[in-house]
Formats: sequence, structure tokens, C-alpha cells
Amino acid sequence: MIPDRIIEQGTLTTHGARTAVEVRLPWYRALPGSCIAGAKLTIDGVEAPAESLRWNMNGREFSFDDLRTNTEEWWFPTDSAVLSGDLPVDPDAEHDVRVDLILYIPYIIVSDTETLHIEENDTKTMKAVAA
Amino acid sequence: MTALGKPIQGVTLYSFTRAFHGREYDLEGLIRKTAAEGFGPGLEIIGFSSFRGFPEIDDHYAGWFRDLVDEVGLVTTSLAVNADIGIHRDRLLNQDELVAYMTRQIKAAAKLGFPIARVQISIEPDSMEALAPIAEEHGVTLALEVHADQYASHPRILKLRDRYEKVGSPFLGFTMDWGATVSGFAPSLIESYRRRGASEELLGQVVDLWNTYYEQGPPADQAEHGQRFGSFIGLAARNGRPDLGIDFGINGTGLFGPARVDDWLAIVPWIKHVHGKFFGIDENGEEPSVPVRDLVKLLVENGYNGAISSEYEGWHWNNWESPFDIIRAEQAVQRSAAADAGSRMITDLAEARAQLGAWLPTTEGAGA
Repeated sequence: MIPDRIIEQGTLTTHGARTAVEVRLPWYRALPGSCIAGAKLTIDGVEAPAESLRWNMNGREFSFDDLRTNTEEWWFPTDSAVLSGDLPVDPDAEHDVRVDLILYIPYIIVSDTETLHIEENDTKTMKAVAA
Repeated sequence: MTALGKPIQGVTLYSFTRAFHGREYDLEGLIRKTAAEGFGPGLEIIGFSSFRGFPEIDDHYAGWFRDLVDEVGLVTTSLAVNADIGIHRDRLLNQDELVAYMTRQIKAAAKLGFPIARVQISIEPDSMEALAPIAEEHGVTLALEVHADQYASHPRILKLRDRYEKVGSPFLGFTMDWGATVSGFAPSLIESYRRRGASEELLGQVVDLWNTYYEQGPPADQAEHGQRFGSFIGLAARNGRPDLGIDFGINGTGLFGPARVDDWLAIVPWIKHVHGKFFGIDENGEEPSVPVRDLVKLLVENGYNGAISSEYEGWHWNNWESPFDIIRAEQAVQRSAAADAGSRMITDLAEARAQLGAWLPTTEGAGA
């Protein structure tokens, strides 16, 4: 829908082994945590380990396992979430940042048991800033 | 003979999704812009898009919103709500859970001053019947949206219509979405594929394939729908552009529904609200792929006195034209079509309020 806006330009930060980037919802309406089914953070072709990924939304931090059952916290379409993972990068250098997202669209039912999911990605180049 | 209808002009803020999502306008800014541009008086909003924390709406916020709408001179028509049956990733909501989920949104509609809640196809006849007394209690009409890949004479829609007839509640109806009766693959979408490097030959084949389905009419069932979806994916793959396949399929089947305009006659007495879905305006000031004039004529001739929310959906792919200019031009087509049909669109606030009040049922003392 609006995948070109997933990565917020100029928001790459790094602190020791952790690196983070701000992420926008590529959909027109708010979705609850339970519909944020997965993400990947890849910098200069290196993917952060899946188990190290964390999702910060509405000032709270979640693992993707936490999000699975969460229907209380919603991602509003004008808010940035923060995706972070274990991935050391050089501060003050340019990096290719790629984010992949899997979202469930809870009102579009494609079979008796299955909800539509969409896979979107975005790549942008930006300088990392030491947090 | 039915008296000619006078549809109420309006807009859904969904048309301006790109501007809102891009933080160019906040909700208040968009409402003020809508009023200042004369895109009203009807105002439609999607709850989960525009209201943070929806469907929980506190009294203070509701008061602020209603005061703002009054101040700028608009009238709230439909609150688009969602039937999030798949909100739990491992299972679908059961009937009781769905009714509870929708009830919270119906209450939000009442609190914010919307007389209609647009609901969606995933709600089955049993659930609509269960929701009817709740809608009545809160004075909110439930208008289930008929949207491509469905269409008015689709078996699922006729099942709902027959149930409405049996239940007999004036609070149950349909939202007509013009995307079910499109007459061509939108040229602005073709232009966007061109800008993504698609060859003229491929684009010609996409248009030809859609035209074939238009000649055949809408898919009889979900299996045929799936087959058509797959054929767009196959076409992209055969032409070396598999990356465009899903996009061709989603738009070719889910946005551009190939039913004929008179298909709406199957449900016309139950149409309570309209999404004037469209995709662009050409150099002659006309919508090249949605038969806006024929659709307005059909509504006028069938005595439709509800609102038409202009719903511009070309924003998905058109990032080179202003959605505000496009809405302005499309509404001019609607007004011209209503005049050609011997009637007019309502653009005056007081007239719109009075007519909408008479068009929809009310409940004494209803509220959230």
C-alpha cells in the first residue's frame, strides 16, 4: 500500500552491539500487536538474528512472541515504531538499511480459517548515529 | 413513479490517506481543509485510521470532535468500522465475540455523532440479525459495504438482502461501493506501471485481460475469482515481471469489479449509503474507468436521498497528482450528472442535515 514509507529516513541509531531504525505502518489503518507478525532488519546485507529483534511501540518494548497475542497495543498510522536488533554497525558511516514486515489484515478473510497477510519491504541508505 | 433523489455531496477522508499518513495534515487539519474546499457537507471517517485508541472514545474527545464538525459546517454521515474477525492470529472470532467487537464500534459511532456505521462483508446474516437491536438502541444504521470482488447480485449479498427483508429492521442496509461496477482498468494505474518500467506490450495485455473479464461479467463465485486473480499473476510472470503479478491481481479483481451498473437494482431499496469510489480524472474532466454519470443517474432515478462519499482510491499508486484537485473534479462530474438526470446534489449544510435526518431511522433518546 505505502511500502516506500516503511523506513523513516535519518533514524538509524547504534549503541554497542544494538542497532535500531524507525518504522512506519505501510497500511491505512491502525493494527494491533497481534497483526504485526514478523520483521527483518538487514544492514549492508547482514541480517540481525531473529531472536534479537525487539519492537518498540507506544513507549513499550516487545519481542515478536509477545506481540502474537497482544490485542491491546495498537500501531497508529501516523506513529513510528522502533525496530532494533543485534547488529553492530559503524557510526557516522552510510549504510544500506532494509526492513521486511509481515502484517495480518484482520478484516480480510481469505478462507474459512485464514486471514490475509501482506509482506512488504523498504530499503533506504542513511548514516548511522551513535545513540 | 419514484420521486427523483437528491444525493448529498460528501467525501471520505480515506481519499486523503497519503496526506494524513505523511503527516501533512492531522485529523483537524483535514476536516478544516474538507470544509474550506467545499468537499462536504457530508463527512465520512474510518475509525481505525483517524481516531487514536479507537473504538475507545472519551467524552472530552467526542465533544471536541462534534464541536469541530459543527464549527466548520459539515455533517457526519458514515463512520467506517471494521469487522476484525482475524484479530487473533490463531483463530477467527466467534459470533458472540464479533457482536461484542462490533458493539463497541457502534457505540463509538453514536458518541461521535455518526448516524451510519459502514460494516464489512465478513459479517454473516446471523451476525447482522444479532446486531440489529444494538444498532437500533444506539440509533446507528448498519450499512454493509458491497465492494469488489463482490457485487449486488452476488449470492452472499442476496443472502444478506433476504435476511434484511425477514428481520425488517430499518437499521440494516448496504453501502454501495462503485468499485463493484467499473468499466475499465484505471489509466492512472497503467501510468504508474509504466513509471515502474513495465513494457507497453505487457500493459496492453493487462488491459486486454481485464476487458475479457468485463465482457464475461463478474465472477460467479470465489473459485472463479481466484482463477482470475491467478491469471493476472501468470501474465506478469510470462512477461518477465513477476514482481508486478500480485499487484495486477489485487487491483484487477479487488478494485476494478466488472459488474454492470444496473446490477445495483438487485439491492437498491436497501442502499443507505454510497462510496463514490473512483481512481482518477482525465484531461476532459471525466472519470475514465468508473461510470460516475450512469451511477449518479441510477441513484437519482431510484429516489436515493442519502450521501455519496467521494472515495478516491488512486492514491495507492498516483503520487504525482493532488488528491484534493482530483476530488474537486470528480464532485463536479457528480453534480453535472445529477443535473442531467433532472435533479441536483445537495451541497447546502442545513438541507443536508434535514434530508439525512429524514432518510435514516432514528431512535428516541438513543446515544452511546
